[in-house]
Amino acid sequence: MDLKLPPLGEGIDSGSVVGILVREDDQITRGQGVIELETGKAIAPVPSSASGKVTKILVSIGDKISVGQAILSLESSASASVKPPSPPAAVSAPRPNRPAAAPPPPQPEEDPEAATWVHDDPADDSPVPAASPTIRRLARELGIDLRRIHGSESGGRLVMDDLRAYIQRLQRLAAHVRTAGPSAAPSQPPQPSVDFSKWGPVTKRPMSTLRKAIATHLSESWHTAPRVTQFDEADITALDQIRKNHAAAFEKKGVRLTLTSFALKIIADALGRHPVFNTSLDEAANDVIYKEYFHIGLAVDSEQGLIVPVLRDVNKKDIMALSKEMNDIAARTRERKISLEEMQGGTFTITNQGGIGGSHFTPIINRPETAILGLGRGALKAVVREGKILPRLMLPLALSYDHRVIDGGAAVRFMLDLVKGFENFDEKTLVQLEN
Amino acid sequence: MDPIHTEIVVLGAGPGGYAAAFYAADLGKKVLLVEREKKLGGVCLTRGCIPSKALLHASTMIREARESAHRGITFGPPQINLDALRSWKNGIVEKLSSGVNFLAKKRGVEVLHGRGYFEGSQSLRVETADGQRLVTYDKAVIAVGSKPALPKVFDLGNPRIMTSTEALDVEDIPEDLLVVGGGYIGMELGSVYANLGSKVVVVEALPGILSGADPDLIRPVLQNAQKNFRELRFNTTVTQMSTKGKKIRVLTVGPDKAEKDELFDRVLVSVGRVPRFDDLGLENTKVEQDERGFIKVNDKMETADPALLAVGDIAGGVLLAHKASKEARIAVETIVGEPSTSAGVIIPAVVFTDPELAWCGVSEAEARAKGMEIDVAKFSWGASGRALTFDRTDGLTKLVVDLATERVIGVGMVGHGAGELIAEGVVAIEMGATVRDLAETVHPHPTLSETIMEAAEVYYGVSTHAFSPKKREE
Repeated sequence: MDLKLPPLGEGIDSGSVVGILVREDDQITRGQGVIELETGKAIAPVPSSASGKVTKILVSIGDKISVGQAILSLESSASASVKPPSPPAAVSAPRPNRPAAAPPPPQPEEDPEAATWVHDDPADDSPVPAASPTIRRLARELGIDLRRIHGSESGGRLVMDDLRAYIQRLQRLAAHVRTAGPSAAPSQPPQPSVDFSKWGPVTKRPMSTLRKAIATHLSESWHTAPRVTQFDEADITALDQIRKNHAAAFEKKGVRLTLTSFALKIIADALGRHPVFNTSLDEAANDVIYKEYFHIGLAVDSEQGLIVPVLRDVNKKDIMALSKEMNDIAARTRERKISLEEMQGGTFTITNQGGIGGSHFTPIINRPETAILGLGRGALKAVVREGKILPRLMLPLALSYDHRVIDGGAAVRFMLDLVKGFENFDEKTLVQLEN
Repeated sequence: MDPIHTEIVVLGAGPGGYAAAFYAADLGKKVLLVEREKKLGGVCLTRGCIPSKALLHASTMIREARESAHRGITFGPPQINLDALRSWKNGIVEKLSSGVNFLAKKRGVEVLHGRGYFEGSQSLRVETADGQRLVTYDKAVIAVGSKPALPKVFDLGNPRIMTSTEALDVEDIPEDLLVVGGGYIGMELGSVYANLGSKVVVVEALPGILSGADPDLIRPVLQNAQKNFRELRFNTTVTQMSTKGKKIRVLTVGPDKAEKDELFDRVLVSVGRVPRFDDLGLENTKVEQDERGFIKVNDKMETADPALLAVGDIAGGVLLAHKASKEARIAVETIVGEPSTSAGVIIPAVVFTDPELAWCGVSEAEARAKGMEIDVAKFSWGASGRALTFDRTDGLTKLVVDLATERVIGVGMVGHGAGELIAEGVVAIEMGATVRDLAETVHPHPTLSETIMEAAEVYYGVSTHAFSPKKREE
């Protein structure tokens, strides 16, 4: 049997092979990583869906491969499962809406309805939607997979109008790709190349897959979300003292206590009181989706570029657990051993430049989220308290938000709440953790 | 004689073969149709569907006349002239068969009578009455069909031990008839003889008749058979058969291991059908067969040999004429390069017992066995005005519904004329109709077709003529 590249997750249908983890004649077991694949967001090992002996490796390093493409040939051992790879349930189920993670396929602006009836990657075994014999025949003749189309009638029945709309959309997309090029920002054709070498020596380095994905994702955010950035400062003199008081105790447990650990907890608390900052906008349905979970993304500066792993259910975890998880996830992200799942499903993102330096900046929203908080480096400043000038440790905060969903007033209130959170952190919660 | 070259050869002129030949000719292909028998039409037309239905119709009259007594109309005892019955039945076969001949001529399909033998993937030797002809071709469609199975234990060379072929000739009306096998052939032909006056005993190795159909649909058929036949015995096998004078001595073993020793005037062996692959020269081609001899095909009717396609009974699956005809069209479309497939095609099944049994799509038993998320809505014909008017309320219409989409994915029926009604179910499934589509469609009154609409209404708990407390939100 051939081992094929399984569905990878939200909106990701291909990647570049950056490592091959097995050799021909190797005996492998189900779940063992066989290749390392670089997709838009990370390098992740691709697990084998079966056990057996590798008879032939069908890809080489540098190949760009797509979902469903054969990776290697496997001679199944008798006891091993020879079932076809079963994709994660979330992927195999028909999804009426376009997945909300980056990088999305280019979407022409004039086609907002597309999202409601197109399925991106039908699994091989997903059922064909109900359609009359005439439509099924036409689809066969045109080479169209009906599983890519969402039937609009009752019972999911697919009618001629659905097929026609799908074909028209394909045409519009094709026209769009012709004018704009596949990797360009959604509404802009690429700028013509400039020969910079006429002014001096240059080196050309091709963009990595990750760099291209970052470019597409951030351009898309830039072009869709009308962004406002709200600045403020929090007095973290007391919080820094608390951190110092407990750093050693945490260290004993092998955990580094950082400002980000506190920030995660403070933000999760504030998000609970300001749910509009924990939303996504479904542009096709004109719905604002309020998420009742708090998964916070953490922008990590890796050697290859920006990667945003996600910490789950931050509101339900204490600072010890969060710190531990964060240390681990940040380390794995820098080594690019983070899995795709760990980068999906975020509801809000933190980007902390303080470790490097910097003051206020204007973060770009990590779509489809609607807000992001940037932290600068805390710096001692002369602050007036009760008529006296005092040296206080001030943390620069920069909150960018999607003005389509969030109003300015809400942003100020959220920011004040955050500031309060930083300034009035309750030390008792830490004492309990250490005992 | 010179070899013949043609674009397409079709081997076998049954409902698969002649449908393929005609369609290919309609699409502009040069076609040669090879048939080993004198008559065109295959088993279905000459010794299957058509003659059996003719005999069922004729013989049912006898029983219906008797049953009309309580309606105040009585008839004298029937006078049965078997020669006249046979020649009437043969007349129908003759008419249809010559019709196939006529249609072949009109289309310019050349017909060659003789036994075909593959000498290679693209050459067929045909032994005709006038000698051997060699035929070469681009593609061949194998549609040689199936024949009744006759296990060795029954094969005594005694003409009183019949398969369906001989039974349809109705040489006489045996006083005691044993039917071995309670499948659709045994039940249909058993009915013919029971109607004509034979005392019929059915023995079946399985625990029931008509395996494959849902038990609630079988029940009325079984009840009626128990009335019309002398006896039905299940979990019973025939261990030995021998000739004893003008009778057949039969030993059977029942579920209690008790052996029975009986004499019958005739025995009908209806234990299934086997593919007719012997003497075809398939070994000279690349065709692959399964362990039972059926030719392996894909959803385009292609065999493992690139020059050969197979359709109908020889290609396995359900052995039904309309399945063969559909496959014939798929095969021809494949040959002319059109994208065609048998995937997702709904093949209905009809059993012409009394009452008739018909189903299509997913059966309730199959859905339950697969753990599919379904619901079932049933409408009993006891609540049908039309069924009451002809005294046959022993019927049931049921819909198998996919819970997630409310689409109808299976329809089953038992009752008088169910075979004529099932096509609506096929259209509903093929069109992806929901239960509501059927409930909202007006069905004429008073007809049996209303039972489909009412079953759909039962699903929502709002059937006019059946009370069901089950209510569903729209």
